[in-house]
Amino acid sequence: MVTGSDLVPRLTMQYEPATYRRRIAGHDVIIHCHHYNARLQRTIEGARGIDGKGILVGAAEVVFGDQLARALRPGDDEVTRWAVAELLYRHLGFGRIDLSRIGEGIVTADSSHFVEGWLAGLGETTDNVCSFTEGYLQGAVHAVTGAAVRVREVECMARGAGRCRFEVDRGERPAVAANHKEPAIASPREPGGPYAKSAHVDEQAIIDAVVGMPMIGDDAGLIPAFSVYLANMPADFYNRICIGFVEAMRGLGRDKAAIRLLVSDAEHCGMNTFRGIMHSPEWDGLIAPMVRDRADALHAIIAISNALGWGDWHVTAHTPRTLALESRYGYEAVGYREYRGLAAAPQCAMLTGVAAGVMELVYGEGTVEERYGTFSAREERCVGCGEPSCNFAVEQVE
Amino acid sequence: MHREKVPACVHPETYKYFLDRDAVISTWQRLAARWGEPRHNPSFRTMEIAAPRFTLRATVLGNPITVLRRRECTAADVAELHALLGYGE
Ligand SMILES: [Zn+2]
Ligand SMILES: [Zn+2]
Repeated sequence: MVTGSDLVPRLTMQYEPATYRRRIAGHDVIIHCHHYNARLQRTIEGARGIDGKGILVGAAEVVFGDQLARALRPGDDEVTRWAVAELLYRHLGFGRIDLSRIGEGIVTADSSHFVEGWLAGLGETTDNVCSFTEGYLQGAVHAVTGAAVRVREVECMARGAGRCRFEVDRGERPAVAANHKEPAIASPREPGGPYAKSAHVDEQAIIDAVVGMPMIGDDAGLIPAFSVYLANMPADFYNRICIGFVEAMRGLGRDKAAIRLLVSDAEHCGMNTFRGIMHSPEWDGLIAPMVRDRADALHAIIAISNALGWGDWHVTAHTPRTLALESRYGYEAVGYREYRGLAAAPQCAMLTGVAAGVMELVYGEGTVEERYGTFSAREERCVGCGEPSCNFAVEQVE
Repeated sequence: MHREKVPACVHPETYKYFLDRDAVISTWQRLAARWGEPRHNPSFRTMEIAAPRFTLRATVLGNPITVLRRRECTAADVAELHALLGYGE
């Protein structure tokens, strides 16, 4: 009998220091917090005139169907395959699902990254919020049995239920799509720079410490670190939902508004997440002793974001009113090229928003809402358009 | 001792509890007796006790203690913790 601990080595994280990418079961994963993930979901599902929920469910189905298939082995029996599906979900930090009754078409979850994110950041809701888990389960059923099913959440902890409950519908539906990307965009060979550094902040020590943290789900499948819940999300998922959202909105002539919404979510996230991080014991223990002024804090924040896999980005110029950053292998730009080919316009909404949010946090005053919009960021060049690097310029708004 | 609210996405009611200097060791002893010995994270120079309803985390100096509540945390859980910390409203 195969036990859970025997399966864990299949999900060992491989870290690539040159690009800060983390790879689990054949997929690059990016670490974001529950706040960002819930906000992104609300933006995409809340847009009128498009099937935002379908975008989320479809992306999770394709991406996790693929990732789970890569974690399975040819000799696995069905019990083992379901065990890997439960483990991958928990290991990545999405919570805890119980697949013991999947044969009857019932799945329950008593812990959820998305429910935590929704309740902490967005408050009470009258809707079930676990679209992500519906998609994950559809992908899991496909990876384990080859079947294409629909999974629907019928009770949700976000609405006060004791646990989330899902039903599997095995009726007719289209086949599960493949996660088609090509050609792969290789990471840059030559080092970038020159980059601005802080004399006091040992960025590599910060990166080593964060990378050395065991970023895997606890018993409840959650990753509480830096005073947030983190999760290892495949870059492909973010790219599929963001590209899908912008393209769906383009059909309504609203693609520019869609990009603005994605930038805004990241701007809020940049402020909220790093504000929490700057008050965390981890910051007090390792980072605060290195920080003498606000510029040091900014360099430390960028180092943490690199260790989380956000962008392989670095400061090229910095004053209290301006910031310039270069990213050479951000997942948004690289993912766009791999899914869609060359882009007509820059694609890195998350990094653009975070660049502004970080300046608002470090140099702004007042509440998050008072700081919001006091810096503006734009992406001037993008790897997605065939440029060698993405370049971001942030300025204080007069 | 006193506490200060800190911003944390994990729970809106997140506080740092600042212990009196001469109470730090005995407080951690009481917490360890209730929920187990603290685990150390040398790369961040932090220590923590993971209780079922909250995580108690501090730098290796043990003070202040950040209490990160889980969503299931009840008023009774908080009252028990406050008694162990010696914190009164
Ligand atoms: Zn739910
Ligand atoms: Zn870009």
